[in-house]
Parts: sequence; C-alpha cells; structure tokens
Amino acid sequence: MKGAEMNALVECLNLRKCYGEHAALDDVSFSVSRGEKVVVIGPSGSGKSTLLRAMNFLETIDSGDIRFEGQSVGYRRVKGKLALDGQRNLSVLRTQIGMVFQQFNLFPHMTTLGNVMEGPVTVLGRAKNEARDVAMEMLGKVGMADKAERYPATLSGGQKQRVAIARALAMRPKLMLFDEPTSALDPELVGEVFEAIKNLALEGMTMVIVTHNMGFAREVADTVAFMEAGRILLADPPAKFFGDDCRLPRIRAFLDKIM
Amino acid sequence: MPALLFLMLSLVLLTSLAHAATPETLMRQGHEALAEGRLEDAEAAFRQVPAPVSPTDDDGLYASARMQVARLRIVRKDFDEAVQAARDVLAYYPEHVEAKNLIAAIERDRMPAWLRFFKDCQRFLPSLLSGAGMTLLLVSCIILISPLGGLLIALGRISTIKVLRAPCWFVIWLFRGTPLLLQLFFIYYGLPSLGITLKPLSAALIGLGLNYSAYLAEIIRAGIESIPRGQMEAAKALGMTYGQAMRRVIVPQTYKRLIPPVANEFTALIKDTALVSTISMVELMRAADQMFNTYFNVTAIVLAAVIYLFFTTVFTFLFERIEARVGIYERR
Repeated sequence: MKGAEMNALVECLNLRKCYGEHAALDDVSFSVSRGEKVVVIGPSGSGKSTLLRAMNFLETIDSGDIRFEGQSVGYRRVKGKLALDGQRNLSVLRTQIGMVFQQFNLFPHMTTLGNVMEGPVTVLGRAKNEARDVAMEMLGKVGMADKAERYPATLSGGQKQRVAIARALAMRPKLMLFDEPTSALDPELVGEVFEAIKNLALEGMTMVIVTHNMGFAREVADTVAFMEAGRILLADPPAKFFGDDCRLPRIRAFLDKIM
Repeated sequence: MPALLFLMLSLVLLTSLAHAATPETLMRQGHEALAEGRLEDAEAAFRQVPAPVSPTDDDGLYASARMQVARLRIVRKDFDEAVQAARDVLAYYPEHVEAKNLIAAIERDRMPAWLRFFKDCQRFLPSLLSGAGMTLLLVSCIILISPLGGLLIALGRISTIKVLRAPCWFVIWLFRGTPLLLQLFFIYYGLPSLGITLKPLSAALIGLGLNYSAYLAEIIRAGIESIPRGQMEAAKALGMTYGQAMRRVIVPQTYKRLIPPVANEFTALIKDTALVSTISMVELMRAADQMFNTYFNVTAIVLAAVIYLFFTTVFTFLFERIEARVGIYERR
C-alpha cells in the first residue's frame, strides 16, 4: 500500500457498500502499485470478496471512487448518486483486469482451449489462429497445454483452476484478481494452483489475492491486508505483518485460529 | 271336347291379356307386396318389369325394379343373384351409381379382412397423406418460428428494461392463459371485425406460432435462469457485454437442458395442429374427418392415428439423438 503514489495501477478511495443495515465495505481506501502483489485475508463476511469484486465492477459501490491508471472509472454521477457505467466502457476496463473465481466458472460447453480463446476472439476480436497461439502459450504457462482438447467436466479442480488462470491471462491483463482461488480445492490440489500463481507473481504481474491460504501471504505478497467488518484494519509487508511485534490482538486471534 | 279345350285356352289367354301388366302396374304390385311383407310376390313382380327397348323410351323403371330385386336377394343372403341383378342394371346403365356401390359393398363384404383394409388404405391414403403434408408443413414452420419467438420473449421477460419486460410478460400471460382453440377462433373469425382478414394458413401460423412461442419462452427463461450465476460473472469479467455473454456462454449451455421439455412441446404441437381444422385448414385431422363422414368408415380415423404416431415417434427419436449430441461436453 503505497498510498497515492504516481505508479499506482488501481486506487480505491473511500469505498462504501451497504446491504441494508450491514456495511460490506465501510470507507475502504486501498491502492495497488504496478507489479505489487497484495494478499487480502480476514474472516468470512469481512468484505474481502466484495472489495475484490468491486474492483471488477461485478459488485457496485454506493459511494467512493475507483481509479484505474489515475482515471476515475466505472461509474457516472447521476443526481449525486453513482450509477454503473455503460457496458461498453466496463467491457474495455474488464479486458485489462483478469479475474479468477473460487468456483472456477469455466465455460462447460467449450474445451480447455476454447475457454482460453474465448476472450481474445469474442471480446478483443482477434483472429482464431492468433488467439489459438496465445491460448496455447498461456496453457503452457499453467502446465495445461496437453489438456487443450478436454472439456472442463473431465478435469480435476486444480486443473480447472489453472485453465481459469490461463483464460484470464490470455486477455493480457494489467491486473489479476484472485477470489479465494484455492478454497474450493481438495488439499492435495492446492499446490499446483499455488505454483501457477507464484510463477505469475515472479513474472511481475500485478495481483490482488483474496485467500485463507497463508502460503500466499508469506511467499507471494508484497503487502498483506487484514479486513474485518468492511474495513482494512492493517496492511503491511508480510515480514512486518507476521512479525510478533506489530500485531493487533484481533489479527493474532485470527491467525492463531487458522494456522 | 276340343271346343271346350279351345274355350278354356282362350279364356286363360284373355285373362292374361286383361292382366297384361304394364311396367307401372308391375312396380305398383311389387311395392304393395313389399308393404304387405310378401317378399316373394314382390320379387316376382319386380322381376317381370321388362328392360327398355331403346334408350330413348327409357323411364328408369327397369333400373329401380332390378335394384329392388337385388335388395330382396340380399335379404335372402343370396349375394350372387343380387350381384347379377345389379349387373343387369349396369348392362343398360353403365354409370348407375347405386348398382356400382351395391356390387362394391358386396365384394367388399366377401373380401378377407386384410384385403378390405388394403383397399381402404388405397382409397383413403391419398387424401390423408396430403393432409399429413399440411400438418408437417405447419409443424415445420412452428418449429422454426417458435424457438426464436420464445427466445426473444424470454430475453425480454428477464431484461432489466421495464418497457421490454411488461409486454413480454403480457404475451406469455395471454397465450398460456387461454385455450389455443379460442386463440385460433379469435384470429380467424374475430380479427376480420377489426379489419384484419387472414387466410386460414396465416391465421394458423400466427395462432400456433404465438402460442408456442409463449410456452417455449417460459421453458427458455427457466433454462437461462438455471445456469449458475458464475457463468455470467466469468463472461463479464472477460469483458463480454450482456449480449455476447448470452450468445456465447449462457444460451448455448441451456440447449441440453431445453431439449427434453422442448421435445415435449413439439410432440404436443404435432397433435395440436389438429385444432386448426376448425378454421378450415385441411390437414391430417380434417382429411380423416372428411373421409369418415363420406364413407362412415373408421379405417380413415385409424390411419390418421397411425400417421400421427409415426410423426411423434420419429420426433422422439430425432430429439433423443440431438440430446445425446448436444450434451457431449458433460461426459466425464
């Protein structure tokens, strides 16, 4: 979290989101620099996923400002209220932001290759040959090139999630969002997905990872953020975050519980 | 003695001359005997009616007398003689319909059942098949129209735009809430009073088309809503617009789920086309009805049932094949 530094890729300023009385996001400010890896942890219902989804406009905010490369994006002001931008504008934004879901959300009626080619072909209008080359490259990156012709139903959870990562990468995004990427996996399948994400981090991809997996926080993160009740309580580099000297009692209790 | 013999002979001759019956008197005698139940006397009288000498002085009495003989023979179960009597009529009047029908009926009666059925088929099939052709045309048109109409109505129904939602809801409400027969009647007989006159075929296509679009719309809507939310989110996250997401991701996934209920609807459609016979469309049901009312022969109805069954069976088979093919990606 380097505040309003000039090389911030995404800045979220004073985001608020309420479901009735419940505040899912309570005045959250947050920024991600180019190349930074932010891992967001916190108990269930603390607003982690809402924050991540708000960054991709899958969740709308009630107030606040989201800036992408310094520009306010995603919303128009209509009579003092925020209204989601037109879908063309959102589409352009989302092509630059890759998202990986807990439940993979692969398209079951397309092959692995078809899933990865779909974005470039349908959204970016790339030629099929070109898109196929890119897709095979991305599948190679996550070690799934040999499963290109398989349908998702024939893949394991870990394989599905790696394909989902390749699908997002094929759009050549500037930012990757991971929404609990290993939570739906059997424990023995977590490793392969973890590796794929770690490799991506080593390549310098900017990413925000919402997770319960402390491995991400320790090995991948530049910054670990702890959320509770719609607020970011603490955001620090992992060494400091996990160091004994600088822990809020609340965070210590949480860490003790899950580790 | 010879004188006496001569006298008696001439007396007999005289009486017979006096009784020298004209065809008219013979006919009258015959009918009187018939009325009194003296069938043999009646037949004797009718048999005596002479054949016309030339076609010009024909009064038709010979024909009716011979036909009476034929009927009386039928009563006696003497079918050979009956046929002979009818043939006598045909010898003079080759186009005599009644005689022909009588011979045909007797021959039909004597045929073995399979041959009788075969002859019936020969007689009914041409009209039934042309009716079936119309049924097939109607079914094909509706199968082409209604999925498109249904998809549009379904998309309107789940749209976030209120001006689309309301009319789509209305169409579904109206066409699912009233009998198809009533809709057809209204379109064909009711619309002319509003200044819109339609040919039976157009009325049938509009009525069936709207009705089936409304039904399919609800099936398609349920299909779309059954696709997990994550699919739409993943599509959006890739940057797809709503339209792209629907076209590439959501709708294709509904195909497999839609096939069984849609096959069901289309099977019902094959049978529902029978309703358009009420707005003077000659399709399979109407053709069978016409045959039945002309010949009072139930074979026409049975044949129509067989043709309907053939259609529905072929349909069921086709849809099973399609279902197996479309769902290929779900195989593990």
